[in-house]
Amino acid sequence: MTGDQFVTGKNPITKRKGWWDNLVGPNKILDTNKYFIICTNVLGGCMGTTGPSSINSATSKPYGMEFPIFTIKDMVNLQLELIKSLSIKKLFSVIGGSMGGMQVLEWAASYPNMLYSAIPIATSYRHSAQNIAFHEVGRQAIMNDPEWHKGNYYNQGNKPRHGLSVARMIAHITYLSEGAFQKKFGRDMQSKVLSWGFDADFQVESYLRHQGTSFVDRFDANSYLYITRAMDYFDLTNKYKGNLDHAFKKTKCKFLIVSFTSDWLFPSSESQSLVKALNKTASDVSYIEIESDKGHDSFLLEVKDFYDILSGFITGVARKLNL
Amino acid sequence: MTNLINQNLISSLISDNDKVLDIGCSSGELLYFLEKTKNIQGQGIEISHVGVKESVSKGLSVIQGDADEDLINFPDSTFDIVILSDTLQATHKPKEVLEQMLRIGKKCIICIPNFGYWKYRLQILFHGVMPVAKTLSEPWYSTPNIHLCTIKDFINLCEHLNISINEAYRNTKDNIKIIKKPKSYLNNLLSTEGIFILTKK
Repeated sequence: MTGDQFVTGKNPITKRKGWWDNLVGPNKILDTNKYFIICTNVLGGCMGTTGPSSINSATSKPYGMEFPIFTIKDMVNLQLELIKSLSIKKLFSVIGGSMGGMQVLEWAASYPNMLYSAIPIATSYRHSAQNIAFHEVGRQAIMNDPEWHKGNYYNQGNKPRHGLSVARMIAHITYLSEGAFQKKFGRDMQSKVLSWGFDADFQVESYLRHQGTSFVDRFDANSYLYITRAMDYFDLTNKYKGNLDHAFKKTKCKFLIVSFTSDWLFPSSESQSLVKALNKTASDVSYIEIESDKGHDSFLLEVKDFYDILSGFITGVARKLNL
Repeated sequence: MTNLINQNLISSLISDNDKVLDIGCSSGELLYFLEKTKNIQGQGIEISHVGVKESVSKGLSVIQGDADEDLINFPDSTFDIVILSDTLQATHKPKEVLEQMLRIGKKCIICIPNFGYWKYRLQILFHGVMPVAKTLSEPWYSTPNIHLCTIKDFINLCEHLNISINEAYRNTKDNIKIIKKPKSYLNNLLSTEGIFILTKK
């Protein structure tokens, strides 16, 4: 959700590695020597594409809450415009995890003739009640921060730092797993003595606080509200009276669906429902549940089985297309 | 069953560009061979993580799934050929699996280990123990094969389900023989496994 267009190499703003740097690049699995890789910034974000923090030309002020509500489909439509402007007729593959995976599914359903293969990872065809619930807690934290000012904080000299930071802390918990937390932190302490108070005695607390505060510097609170809402509103079955398979009736591309055992945010059962729907349309589909104890974030990490499969699938698609 | 004889036999029964489903495709050797030699549109179902991983890594389309649960999702006559090689005996509901196969495939190729093979009969008769052999390599307490049958049992089930057996083959030591009377006493006694081509009546 918070990824930007700097998928690989060094991000010029944060100076950090691109968010999928271990996967994308020369001689990597998504090999930039072989493939032309396009990664866009997201509609409604704050890293280049128009969002709530952009200036509304009608008022010469940031949009704030005046920014229209947008959907996953709007994000994809914007990507489609980019693809058209690049004169690309058909994409070799559309790949993404989490919200990116939702975009992949939207591409496959809405523009079935525009892609040869689709790789939705750690995602779902609709946001679950639990996921909406977590998003709602995050949004409430932001909107209840006195510095939020109903979204008009841009000229207030301050911003809803605390609210956004808490939202990020909650979200970060959902990206990991019980096992990952335990393995990484256990009950390890910051110092040998307890504060007998509410300081960050445990390393896990300190880690979460750091995740929260560092996020505030690079992300806009209103963007967070809008983008989480777009995910909540996503449901591919909406148009088809609950029949997911109808969404893919015209889709002829090859699918690779991947889920991870410890991902409780987008559990394997969501991917399995997707596989069933694609079987109903007799689609060409591969599905695997990868064993990983790293939770939802597994798709961003170097998990060997995941990489082997991705590499094999991409090679297979290329072979079928005689590339 | 990935031995070369079966691979070549199955290959000879498949036409170029057929749409093929391999249920219990293991590491995908057969599908890979058929894609190379017959340019089939292959799809596999495999229960084991390792099998799916190896198959997809070969560029094959394989889903991690279960013959008992997942065949029901496919529409009628989706595939030209459905292959179930050395898998029926490991399913929980072999009868339902067989019915589903014939619903989703125009033609089905099925290989089963034959529990009526004379050596297996002798193992029970003289040693009083459950047969263990090359095609039934696990002992009774750890075998995934929970629904073993003989060729005669299998043919009885096909008759009961109104399935036609178009052709039957026997795997011998170094070749495959076509069987004129698959239900015969001798075939049931002398075959280590049965290979059948099935269609709906």
